[in-house]
Amino acid sequence: MNAGLTVRVFGVELRDELRAIVREPTSLFFSILMPVGFFVLFNLLYGHDTTQGISAGTAMVATFGTYGVITVAALQPGIGVAQDRDLGWLRMKRVSAVPIGISLGAKAMAALLYGVGVLLLMGVAAAAFGTLHASVWAMLRVALVLLLGTVPFTLISVAVGLRFRTNATIALLNALLFPLAVLSGLWIPIQFLPHVMRQIAKFLPTYHLAQLGLSQLGHGPVLLHVLALLLTTLGAAGVAVMAYRHARI
Amino acid sequence: MGTTAAVLTAEGLRYRYGETVALDGVDLGVDPGECVALLGPNGAGKSTLVTLAVGLLTPQQGTVRILGSDPRRAATRRRLGVAQQTLGFPNTLTVHELVTGAAVRGGLRAAAAGPVLDELGLADLRRRRVAKLSGGQKQRVQLAMALVTEPALLVLDEPTVGLDTVARRHFWQILARRREQGTAVLVTTHLIEESAAVADRVVVLDRGRVLADAPPDELVTRLPDRTVTVRTGLDRSELEQLPGVLSVTPEHELSRIQTRSPEDLLRVLLDRDPHLSDLRVQDAGLEEAVLALTDRADEGTDATGTDGGYGRDGSQRAAEVTG
Repeated sequence: MNAGLTVRVFGVELRDELRAIVREPTSLFFSILMPVGFFVLFNLLYGHDTTQGISAGTAMVATFGTYGVITVAALQPGIGVAQDRDLGWLRMKRVSAVPIGISLGAKAMAALLYGVGVLLLMGVAAAAFGTLHASVWAMLRVALVLLLGTVPFTLISVAVGLRFRTNATIALLNALLFPLAVLSGLWIPIQFLPHVMRQIAKFLPTYHLAQLGLSQLGHGPVLLHVLALLLTTLGAAGVAVMAYRHARI
Repeated sequence: MGTTAAVLTAEGLRYRYGETVALDGVDLGVDPGECVALLGPNGAGKSTLVTLAVGLLTPQQGTVRILGSDPRRAATRRRLGVAQQTLGFPNTLTVHELVTGAAVRGGLRAAAAGPVLDELGLADLRRRRVAKLSGGQKQRVQLAMALVTEPALLVLDEPTVGLDTVARRHFWQILARRREQGTAVLVTTHLIEESAAVADRVVVLDRGRVLADAPPDELVTRLPDRTVTVRTGLDRSELEQLPGVLSVTPEHELSRIQTRSPEDLLRVLLDRDPHLSDLRVQDAGLEEAVLALTDRADEGTDATGTDGGYGRDGSQRAAEVTG
């Protein structure tokens, strides 16, 4: 497939993915309204407090932002892949000579764009509540880190979607997402969690992503979190490749 | 078959799923403009053959070519149009979005969708989401998606299931126009008599082997069976005892009797039932010919004892073949 055709096919795939999200109200609820709703609620309650040397409202952009982007990245692509498999749609695309990478890439890109929307809404809400105390540059860095950090979650999501049917995929991904969010301090600041949970958090990629986001707003370690996320990405890529090789499309 | 001009050429195709033989040395050719119907009971190997033809499987032995190229190549697959019975659509997309998407995926401009939507009577439904379409309308959308790229070979899986008579006729008329322009058609179906009406050739598969590859008329003439339809006071068991009777099928108030010697049967029938009426003698149809072929293959396999539990009685096979 030449470059021009690749771009045009990717455009069609991306367009279809975005339409699927926009036109399916339930997915909008889980991927945007719920994370942003939580963010608004906690921001109103605790946004003016201080945590880790920065305003809680600002920190929440990183922590709830992590929750928001991984919700989209971990749910949308996998559920989409499972639905397409169940429908025979993925098979149809294979017959149409659409490389699987383009289909999956479009799903990941659509999720990323929705992730941008989630972060934007959170940023605007925090600014409106007067709890946002960070430069535009810092906020852009947070957004970039969080969006890049969704890669392993997207890979895991796709792997689950390639192996399981739609309903099982939805259940599995939600079952994965919820404890990750709680244990990584995405809803409640990590320092308020019990000691045992704080220890568990250190082994979770969501924790490292949130901490990497927070480090863009203050002065925290970066290297450890980057390494943890890189390792997770490598592992997730391996799982995704294996899932694809054994998938029935 | 197998000429360089053929759109589809398969030679010596063998494929196994573990211990199960799906294809066992299949040869098949489809020429431009030709319509070939692939018939056979469930498990005959039709799906595997089609999956190999569209490049989603790699032959374990033998070769398959589309216009002389490997169908696993993306450029080759873009010359195919495929409509499969089991395909569902993303409910969030409209008819127009689906067909333009198919055009772009096939390397064409989105505008190519317009004429196909008109041709298939979908222009008025273009803005309607696929979730709100009837089964027949969805079939037409799928055909539009398959036709929009002007394929060299159309591969259709049960294309007219769910269509009413008018829609079915319209469907075959559209395909006839495409065939005149050189599009080849490979259709798998359980609607045997329909395939007799539209196919140039019928390929009967069973247990991964080609049992017959011939025009429908030729297949029928190979079968000496005749069907005698009568209104009679004799019951089914009495009819089954008559000389030369192969099978008896009640049909409303009539009885359809399969026989190889209608003259002998009629003499006895008229003798036994003086009130016999509504008598009609017909050649066997394609359905009977296909059943006879697959049943004969059953008997051959049963005799060798290598059936592995596949053998069934005639009625069950009839149910499978006719769907």
